[in-house]
Amino acid sequence: MAPKKNARDRPTTPTPAVAAAQDAAPAASSPAPAPAAKTSTKGRANWDEVMLNIYQYYMKETPQRTKLIDVFLSFLVVVAALQFLYCVLAGNYPFNAFLSGFCATVGQFVLTVSLRIQTTAVNKSDFPSVSPERAFADFVVCSLILHFFCVNFIN
Amino acid sequence: MRSFLSTAIFVFAAAVSAVSTAGNRLLVVLDDVAEKDNYKQFFGDLRERGYQITYDTPRSEHVKLFHLGERTYDHLVLLPAKVKALGPNLTPNILVDFVNADGNILVALSSTTPASSSLTSLLSEIDIALPAERTGTVVDHFNYDTVSAPETHDVLVLDAPTSVRPGLKNYFDVSGVLSFPHGAGHTLGAGALLTPVIRAPSTAYSYNPKEQAEVVDPEDLFAAGKQLALVSVFQARNSARVAVVGSAGMLQDKWLDAKVSRPDGKKVKPENREFAKRISGWAFQEIGVLRVNNIEHQLKGDNETNPEIYRIKTDVSYSISVSEYSWNAWEPYNLPANDALQLEFSMLSPFHRLDLKPLSVSDSATVYGTAFTLPDQHGIFNFKVNYKRPFLTYVEEKNTVSVRHIAHDEWPRSYVISGAWPWISGIGATVTGFVGFCAIWMYSKPVEGKTKRK
Amino acid sequence: MSVQWQRATLIVKDAPHRPRSVDQAHYVPQAPSCPQLRVWRFRGHSRRIKIKVSPLHQPSGQPSPVVVANMTTEAPTRPEGVNTKSTRTLLRVVILLFIAGAAISSRLFSVIRFESIIHEFDPWFNFRATKYLVANGFYKFWDWFDDRTWHPLGRVTGGTLYPGLMVTSGAIYHALKALTIPIDIRNICVLLAPAFSGLTAYAAYLLTNEMTTSPSAGLLAAVFMGISPGYISRSVAGSYDNEAIAIFLLVFTFYLWIKALKLGSMLWGALCALFYGYMVASWGGYAFITCLLPLHAFVLICMGRYSTRLYVSYTTWYALGTIASMQIPFVGFLPVKTSEHMPALGIFGFLQLIAFIEYVRSAIPSRQFQTFLVTILVATFGVGLIGLVGLTSLGYIAPWSGRFYSLWDTGYAKIHIPIIASVSEHQPTAWPAFFFDLNFLIWLFPAGVYMCFQDLRDEHVFIVVYALFGSYFAGVMVRLMLTLTPIVCVAAAIALSSMLDTYLSAKSPDPKEVELAAEAASKKPPKPSTGLRGSEKPTIGIFHVSSKFVVVASVVVYLVMFVTHCTWVTSNAYSSPSVVLASRMPDGSQHIIDDYREAYQWLRQNTKKDAKIMSWWDYGYQIGGMADRPTLVDNNTWNNTHIATVGKAMSSREEVSYPIMRQHEVDYVLVVFGALLGYSGDDINKFLWMVRIAEGIWPDEVKERDFFTARGEYRVDGEATETMKNSLMYKMSYYNYHSLFPPGQVSDRVRGVRLPDQGPVLHTLEEAFTSENWIIRIYKVKDLDNVGRDHAAVAAFEKGQKKKKASKKRGARVLRVD
Repeated sequence: MAPKKNARDRPTTPTPAVAAAQDAAPAASSPAPAPAAKTSTKGRANWDEVMLNIYQYYMKETPQRTKLIDVFLSFLVVVAALQFLYCVLAGNYPFNAFLSGFCATVGQFVLTVSLRIQTTAVNKSDFPSVSPERAFADFVVCSLILHFFCVNFIN
Repeated sequence: MRSFLSTAIFVFAAAVSAVSTAGNRLLVVLDDVAEKDNYKQFFGDLRERGYQITYDTPRSEHVKLFHLGERTYDHLVLLPAKVKALGPNLTPNILVDFVNADGNILVALSSTTPASSSLTSLLSEIDIALPAERTGTVVDHFNYDTVSAPETHDVLVLDAPTSVRPGLKNYFDVSGVLSFPHGAGHTLGAGALLTPVIRAPSTAYSYNPKEQAEVVDPEDLFAAGKQLALVSVFQARNSARVAVVGSAGMLQDKWLDAKVSRPDGKKVKPENREFAKRISGWAFQEIGVLRVNNIEHQLKGDNETNPEIYRIKTDVSYSISVSEYSWNAWEPYNLPANDALQLEFSMLSPFHRLDLKPLSVSDSATVYGTAFTLPDQHGIFNFKVNYKRPFLTYVEEKNTVSVRHIAHDEWPRSYVISGAWPWISGIGATVTGFVGFCAIWMYSKPVEGKTKRK
Repeated sequence: MSVQWQRATLIVKDAPHRPRSVDQAHYVPQAPSCPQLRVWRFRGHSRRIKIKVSPLHQPSGQPSPVVVANMTTEAPTRPEGVNTKSTRTLLRVVILLFIAGAAISSRLFSVIRFESIIHEFDPWFNFRATKYLVANGFYKFWDWFDDRTWHPLGRVTGGTLYPGLMVTSGAIYHALKALTIPIDIRNICVLLAPAFSGLTAYAAYLLTNEMTTSPSAGLLAAVFMGISPGYISRSVAGSYDNEAIAIFLLVFTFYLWIKALKLGSMLWGALCALFYGYMVASWGGYAFITCLLPLHAFVLICMGRYSTRLYVSYTTWYALGTIASMQIPFVGFLPVKTSEHMPALGIFGFLQLIAFIEYVRSAIPSRQFQTFLVTILVATFGVGLIGLVGLTSLGYIAPWSGRFYSLWDTGYAKIHIPIIASVSEHQPTAWPAFFFDLNFLIWLFPAGVYMCFQDLRDEHVFIVVYALFGSYFAGVMVRLMLTLTPIVCVAAAIALSSMLDTYLSAKSPDPKEVELAAEAASKKPPKPSTGLRGSEKPTIGIFHVSSKFVVVASVVVYLVMFVTHCTWVTSNAYSSPSVVLASRMPDGSQHIIDDYREAYQWLRQNTKKDAKIMSWWDYGYQIGGMADRPTLVDNNTWNNTHIATVGKAMSSREEVSYPIMRQHEVDYVLVVFGALLGYSGDDINKFLWMVRIAEGIWPDEVKERDFFTARGEYRVDGEATETMKNSLMYKMSYYNYHSLFPPGQVSDRVRGVRLPDQGPVLHTLEEAFTSENWIIRIYKVKDLDNVGRDHAAVAAFEKGQKKKKASKKRGARVLRVD
């Protein structure tokens, strides 16, 4: 089940990760996805465009603070991926430790995504009762609950 | 009242302890009280060993084995009596009750006097069968006494009893020959409570002199050879004992003194007196009595003895102290060769079955013990010593303990397990990341506000 | 697939710009007036109200959620001067208090009619566990190894129970003690269920208020919840079972979920997760929530109603709720290992995917997006499905457990798991039970669900989904009537309140005004419809007083009938503790049959402390609780083999049973026998289940067929089969029974048959105790015979029969070998 979960997470990962990487080296970004789609020319063209569009949109539209969230998200993804990789390679012997470690990261990830959603101006209308300050407070409270449970569970 | 009773019992117990572990009140039931003179030596030996002997006949009305539900005698000797039944006070039911109430019985049979029906039913209840019509004479045309029965061949000369099977103590090895005059044989059922002490020689057989005087039809043969037991003992589950001696003559003065000889041997004095002492001593619990003094089990490295609960997969030691009573004193019990005292640690079925090793020997007891690791299974277990051997008091000791699971705080912590470190650091990274993120977020807030305004 | 998806997303695209709920319409200043108007008209009020309400809210900006809730209910304020906000709140509080009072007091029937006693079976265990908790503290309780049940296996009780109930009572006990109110723990246990029913009524009120704007609906729902027999059946005083608090938690968790979904707030999601965790700690039925919330989310996504609020609330709930539920030792790793929990996980992953796609969609043009979408979707679903199947077949994920199979296929349990099927509350529900338990709510229920369709917001979808699922499960298993009851109460309250609101409004609409309004509506451009097509409401108003009167009167009559029905059912059907039986004397006075306690008391006083009692598992908890003696099996039924062993001992001949009983160190055997009194719940009537369960493990030794006569009848009289007559259960039940009757008159009043004059003979057991009405019979297991005979021979000997001469005229004699 964990792998499946991760598999679904992974699609989410490229955006911030790639974006973050591109912050540093924009030139290197376009060739990267190209080899993956070499099989069909049409596909390649599309994929290039898609990636480019996403990148441009991201750089243009994202406020500074949201980028901060994205950095944190990509950090969490890396941590989750490392943990998962370790689980696959070395086995999940203290299963509770694996679960709590992985759940902590995944839970933190979704909470942070929620924070990102709630603080994004576009979604304002969806959350009439949640101001960004309130969202941040909620986020802190939820994270603390999550950490408490995880630390308790890892024993 | 109660304290008076208990003191009385204590005094009583102290008085009898010199004799037998089971008391010293002995009732002898014989045809005629005068007949006791035939057994002077036998009863004399008994009296010397401390028994208070009461003689009575089955016809007497005072013979009461129970008074107000309590036994009035500790031991009972039934000698042949010429009655059809032993009367209303010695019915088979009362006799069985007597055994159930820890009373011991020594039965002597004879081919000259038919066994009473009460006795037959008593014996048949403990799975000892007597010849039909309650008479039968054991003859052996090879091992008879040439002195007293050159013609009838019904006085047998027997070797000293040997052990029934290896690994048993032999209490009846008298090193000599025994005479077995005018005896009636019996057969034993397959029960484990019965043990033959003397079996007939393979050439002996039992026949009915009245009906089968001329020829014995093999179909009608009662028993022959090793299947024919001459002296047998029975020990009930409560360790009350019943001994059956096929020939009352064996115990009579006449035969204790007479010399016997086999057809091809010389005249020897039989060891009947010694044998009579041993068989009566065994039957009245003077030998072959085991006592468990003390049982201890404890957790390794813990001082509490006999705790009620253990945890799975812990080391536990167990010890049991056993004494044996031998005529007049408690002695340390030593296992015979090829035998083992075993401990079972069982729940429904044994999880461990271990030989107990002698750990220490004191003046009056041997301590056997072992140590082992509890199984990985929680439940209600028994430390069980089930030592049941012929001639020895049954030892069945059960100490119940609970074995619990590992409590929530007894598991190794995650930080002890190296395998969990990556995930602990994962949580650590997440939490640190979270704290750092929150700090930056709050720090960057005013800036954020400005940019928003712009 | 892609086409469907496109449609869905198209609708989603519109989502942010469209007010979805009435509440939003209030405080979003630029909100268009049309949806509002529509709603008001449906309520049948004039525009005046809108004018009055709107200024009230607009200046206040964004009110807190609590205020929102209040405002929602107050929306159709009647303009009378006395009805200020505070008086209404006060009135509401008073009404709710009265409802709670009614809910509690109607549950006290059992105490009044009988006494303050723990009921039935499971509560006895919970009571015993609570006493242990109070006496030994929480950590001891957590690590409790119970060596007085399931002898000799023992039970890791601390790790195999839902501790919520005991911890709750323990906390109450200590709290009261800290307040220097000494109270017996038994009274807390007895009164816990009624106390929580008051809270459940309040939770139902809150939940209903989220669904509708009508102020009366919530109160009606609270009343219904408080007194509906479906819920009372599990929560009378003394019924100290997990359900006592679990139903409150269920309803409250749903309320928090709706709240979280509506507001899209992480905090509410976290609260929902916490209460979900509490629910997990309290009742195995938590799986209902675990399946219902993902289903709701899934239905919303399929309807194209994905929103960021859904993402926030669902993921928060799942992330926190799952890790919270894993803290309970009994649950442990189940949330990631069993199929029951997989839907929640799947939806969690699915939401991540959708959220990501949504984000990308906002970033790139639609044509590129299509390619992107198809690739991602196909890849993800492929990987997910393969992963799930692979892991299940490799055994990492447990397939559905038996109890869940029996929910899909009602015949499954009967064939494969007799132990589940043998429990009466796992049987499919009989139709009359719905009417008995819910009375007129059951036909208001569909109406309420229909009303939810009329104005289909996210929370209404929840009602619909819950209603469908709840009805199905309630139909499959009697016990799950309990989970259906809350939604029935809510839906019925919605229906009834809208009816009452319509018919009770004192003011009839003016026909002219209505026409004007209709014209105004038709002039407006067609607006995007939120509900289903065709749910455009025509203007409704009641124009005549008499029709109002008739309808209202009939509703009142129904309500009164409902209340009488509930009272009657509560006092007569659901208040019996089943430990104590009530019967009527010929003169009408009540006669208490107290055989159970008599027998348990006998055991407590006359047997040694560790005497093991063998009985059928139904009585295990009671023996443990009332007699305080170790039992072989009890209602926990965690070890089917052990139960089958007892079943085998009961259904076999004495010669077979005796070694089993010796091996398990049984000292006494207890049977329930109702033939004298006509008490039908006795062991002979349950006997076939014992046989079936034993047959499941030992098909060669116990055969159900042997207990039926050649004509296939289950008989206990002279015609009974030999197997039946020789079974230990039969013998123990009818032993000595014939001695009560004159010859030829021996009769069994449960089975209604004449029994033979000669009763069965028991050798290995002896009768130790028989209660006043012969309901409980206790037998002592005899020891092995002292001189080594078998028990039949002992009996024969004691009767004076001579042992048959074994020596003569037999073929081969048994030779002694040693």
